[in-house]
Amino acid sequence: MTERGLPPPQGAQDFAAVLRREGVLPNAPVVGANAAVEQTQATTILAFKYSDGVLVAGDRRATAANTIVYDRADKVLEIDRHSLMAIAGVPATAWEMARVLEHSFQFYRRTQLQEMSHEGKVRALSKLLRDNLGMVLQGVGVVVPIFASYDAAAEVARLYFYDAMGAQFEAADFAATGSGSPAVRAVLHFANSWGAKPLRKLKANDAIMLALRALETAASSDSATGGVDRRADVFPIVKTITSAGIETLSEARLARLFKGKLV
Amino acid sequence: MIDEPYRWVEAIANRREYIEHQLAPGSPIVALSYADGIVLLTLSRERQKIFEIYDRIAMGGIGHPGDIERLRLAAIELCSTEGFARSAHDVSLRRLANFSLSPALKAAFEQVYGAPYLARLIFAELGRGDVPNLFLRLDYDGSIHTNGGSFGRSFEEFGVIAGTKSAAERMERLLREHDATKASLSRAVRIAAEAWSLGHMASPDDAAEELPKRAVLKKHLDEQLAHAAVECAVLERSSTLPITWRALPEAETRAMLDAE
Repeated sequence: MTERGLPPPQGAQDFAAVLRREGVLPNAPVVGANAAVEQTQATTILAFKYSDGVLVAGDRRATAANTIVYDRADKVLEIDRHSLMAIAGVPATAWEMARVLEHSFQFYRRTQLQEMSHEGKVRALSKLLRDNLGMVLQGVGVVVPIFASYDAAAEVARLYFYDAMGAQFEAADFAATGSGSPAVRAVLHFANSWGAKPLRKLKANDAIMLALRALETAASSDSATGGVDRRADVFPIVKTITSAGIETLSEARLARLFKGKLV
Repeated sequence: MIDEPYRWVEAIANRREYIEHQLAPGSPIVALSYADGIVLLTLSRERQKIFEIYDRIAMGGIGHPGDIERLRLAAIELCSTEGFARSAHDVSLRRLANFSLSPALKAAFEQVYGAPYLARLIFAELGRGDVPNLFLRLDYDGSIHTNGGSFGRSFEEFGVIAGTKSAAERMERLLREHDATKASLSRAVRIAAEAWSLGHMASPDDAAEELPKRAVLKKHLDEQLAHAAVECAVLERSSTLPITWRALPEAETRAMLDAE
């Protein structure tokens, strides 16, 4: 509290900077420079472009070493009306990052009286990942997200994946990260190249089926990926972004599709 | 000069007179409850005057644009930080005004060697569930008026600010006669515009004087609409998202005003 009793104005309107000033955003603890870097992200998330836009899916399992901690984790998070972030990595850091991002976009829109550009949103996540580098080097906070957003200017849904240091890559057709991603990438590459139709031409139901099958494939060999839990009726989270906005597919619809075609 | 108590009182009185004089030509802002939430309306020539503060809070301001901007940014920052650190449910207009903005305004107003905030603000907060909507007026000296709960006054479903005290009182009188709580958005917009028109007309010093006829108000409004922009925003209860704010496109508002 300085200028006439109110906090000093933020020139760049960067919400993360406001949080840091208020001491709400913690910095990475420093224990030793040579801590082993944990490279595994025990989960599987995937995203690909289909005929209506982008589909993003993630399994529900959260693990700590070889223990299953939670089987209903939500790893596909809505950041705003047109953006989704799917997370692989340390949940504490990833969820906090999603929260900062969500509030940053709102904060920007409210203070600047305009929506943040698509490029600005993509870059904002990149910057958060870069700020998190300290945690990554400590081996406690690695996050490797996928970001999907509807670009209103170009009228097309776009898809990005990142590395743990914040480099962003725009995916042409699909992206997958996490421990089960090699299997998912193989499935998606195969389907895109030699399937009945390339991914971009798939109708919504076929796209959803492919996402569920890809996660099941990953779960068959990767113990850290949940897939579909048939006994408890737990399904992966599947969300789509189209020009109309974000849609979360109901468990009932997933169950109907899954039981009709997969079993 | 101001080390003597009497001089200090005199300095404050001068300052109050100066600020009131500056605020007097300000275009009134009306906020009122309707069936699906809250509508805020004003007419402006140069700049935006109604703003989104948080998921369920909106603000309107008259005064110096620089001061309004500082207060607006502070309000957004305070709400966003609280909403981030705790939850959107913990963000409350009452706390924002009572604990943060009011003391800052009062301090700036009474430190006679510094600049006061040249601003008069109206805040509206959409209640959750059964909680009623809150309308709160915050003045340059930090004083707060709300739409209810205080002694000797019944609960009201509106809040207004205007350049002068008598204009605001006359607007309140008009709004007391028109209950918009069950009204459609279109009707609420027309009531708000009528109240704006009344507040904007040169008002007599005696607020108790007879209110002008509706036709007179409508004529004045139409004259003003010819060369000013109409600004209107709503906080919608039926919103499927946590964010309830929606700014109405000008064409939509004008269509509602003509719908009668």
